[in-house]
Amino acid sequence: MNPRVAVSRALATTGVPMAVALVVVVLVFQMLSPVFLEPNSIRDYINNGIPILLITVGVGIVIVGRGIDLSIGTVAGFSAGTTIWAIGAGLPTILGILVGIGTGVLFGLCNGLLITKLGINDFIVTLATLNIAGGLLIVLNELVSLRGVDAPGLRQLTHGRIFGVPISFFIAAAVIVAMQFLLMNTVFGRRVFAVGIASEAANIAGVNVNRVRLVTFVISGGLAGLAGVLLASRLGSAQAFLGLGYEFIAIAGAVLGGVSLTGGRGSVWAAVVGGLMLATLQQGLRLNGVDPVYFSIVTGLCIVAGVVFDRAAQRLAVGRSPDGNRPPSSSADGQPQQVEALSGRE
Amino acid sequence: MAGSDRVSAIQSESSSLTRILKNAGKRLLLDPTLGVLTMLLLVCLVSVFVLPVFLSSQNLFNLLGSSLTVMILAIGLTVVLISGGIDLSVGTVMALCAGVTAKCLLAGLPLFAAFLVALAVGAAAGVGNGLLVTKLGLPDFIATLAMLGFAGGVLYIWTEGVPIIGYMVPEYFYVGGLTPIVGSITLPMLIALALALVVGGMLGQTRLGTHLFAVGSSRSGAMQSGVNVDRVRIIAYVISGVCAAVAGIVLAGRNTNVPADLGAGYEIQAIAAAVIGGASLNGGRGRVLGAVLGAFTLAATINIINLVGVPSSYQKIVIGLILLVAVVANRVSAVVSARVRLKTAARASGGAVTTITRTKPDLTSSTRAACPSNTSREGTR
Repeated sequence: MNPRVAVSRALATTGVPMAVALVVVVLVFQMLSPVFLEPNSIRDYINNGIPILLITVGVGIVIVGRGIDLSIGTVAGFSAGTTIWAIGAGLPTILGILVGIGTGVLFGLCNGLLITKLGINDFIVTLATLNIAGGLLIVLNELVSLRGVDAPGLRQLTHGRIFGVPISFFIAAAVIVAMQFLLMNTVFGRRVFAVGIASEAANIAGVNVNRVRLVTFVISGGLAGLAGVLLASRLGSAQAFLGLGYEFIAIAGAVLGGVSLTGGRGSVWAAVVGGLMLATLQQGLRLNGVDPVYFSIVTGLCIVAGVVFDRAAQRLAVGRSPDGNRPPSSSADGQPQQVEALSGRE
Repeated sequence: MAGSDRVSAIQSESSSLTRILKNAGKRLLLDPTLGVLTMLLLVCLVSVFVLPVFLSSQNLFNLLGSSLTVMILAIGLTVVLISGGIDLSVGTVMALCAGVTAKCLLAGLPLFAAFLVALAVGAAAGVGNGLLVTKLGLPDFIATLAMLGFAGGVLYIWTEGVPIIGYMVPEYFYVGGLTPIVGSITLPMLIALALALVVGGMLGQTRLGTHLFAVGSSRSGAMQSGVNVDRVRIIAYVISGVCAAVAGIVLAGRNTNVPADLGAGYEIQAIAAAVIGGASLNGGRGRVLGAVLGAFTLAATINIINLVGVPSSYQKIVIGLILLVAVVANRVSAVVSARVRLKTAARASGGAVTTITRTKPDLTSSTRAACPSNTSREGTR
């Protein structure tokens, strides 16, 4: 195996280069401010980063199926609102959590149905639902007070600890492992990749394209709902405009990790690593006293960097410059095989 | 072929008058502006019963004045939509250009020079969008979403979150529309009219306009016909950026201060206005007149909802719902008009037909799945 193939294989295994970069960034921030890796700081980092990490996973799955979901940020915010409202109205905590997740699922279902049944562009539908969810949170805030709700059970989700680690960490880890399994090891996951690579071919091959797309949007909505529950747990309130802009961070994280915006390539690990990278940058910049606005600029640059990286990886993996066409095989583990085939011919 | 013979025989029987009427009706039905006219009519009808004050000339002029910013943005956005793209950055680019104008005036530049700088900034943002989309190959809504964040961030850092004030010079009150020129006519109305005429003329009468429709209808088809697709798409984003700058100049004059979040929420209003006006998100379909009427209709709808007494906090939800309804209506009309056109074409010749029309909707894979009879294939058979 020549070095070039080795490099391309490492790059094509999405997430690996970003994981290396992540370690470097963590070390740099540790040198800049030694508190970075202290337990309190890490706990803070987990609780701040996990809601966005969850929606990063959701939007990552949608993007693999060649869709986009812009509504996740405000849907998470609105789900936080409904959770707090439900618990404040006297529902038991577990039902309140289900209301929050259900809100997200409902939005995902609406998005998916509008996109698949009526054939409307996904980003315009989710742009509209972004505004609707954001508007609903504003209205909900006017109708009822969404702060200072006494819900110790809900609070435990992020403030409670097992062996010193916040419970939210275990929830997120379980969700991530489950989603990775769903996307990479099940028939449904294969279908998502098939739809993302070529929906028409998938259709001819007998995949119910609309149903697969619908399910990806429902997953994304459900994860946004769960993210909202964790937000509600951490903040204990849900002010208007909560979650606005999270969609951008989530998309940037997924793309940075190696989920291809042209669909059909990526994994949940990749989205998670990219999301962790952004969460690390956010935490590091915050600890060093940088204005949060610079973080949004960094996020924008990360999308561009992710796309450039994606193209470079494609070029190396396929062994020729991308001509605008998608390489014939583009799933995450399809690519190394292709490299193998190319190297065999050499 | 026997079937088509019979059809043509039936067709020749019908009198020419009914045919003309039928054709006129069909053309009206297929017109992208029909939807917005219907909606405007409905809004006016509702208002007659609910609030007679709505139709007073004073209210209508106020309404027109307040809809101009969105109107100018929607005109530029329509060009991008026709070329098959989308520009989410119009709102914050507009705000950035408003900030640039204000800062230039504060720095002592004459009004005209300040406007030129703002226009240059808008054009630069458009070039940036265009390059990201064409040269880097970013999806259009991601690239312009990044530009949305970038322009908003630059304005925020630049103003340090404090609104820019104290830049108004006497002549600027004319440009902002606060001082009318004649009667109730203000300068921004004339600016919007001029812009609509220029852009509309460009789309309808020039080669660039034809290229924009061609690129939006079928990118690969346009490329094979020798159109420089990348250049055309970049120009579309530049036009949108310049329109955003014009809107920013007007808004800074109207608002008399520039807060850092001036542009928030404008992009969805502009998109809604353009889509209400019949522009298709799949490209190749749209009209400047539609965008103008769409912006006015949107403002009228919001105005009526406010007058009826719905709190302004519901505005975001209402705009979101209007956008959804408009997109659904647009989708339905595109599918119906494609069917009607293909049927007509098949009836006219009975043989192989290639219909190249400006408003040809691009049936994406998802819509093809949505309408089970594969119309596009039937038409060419």
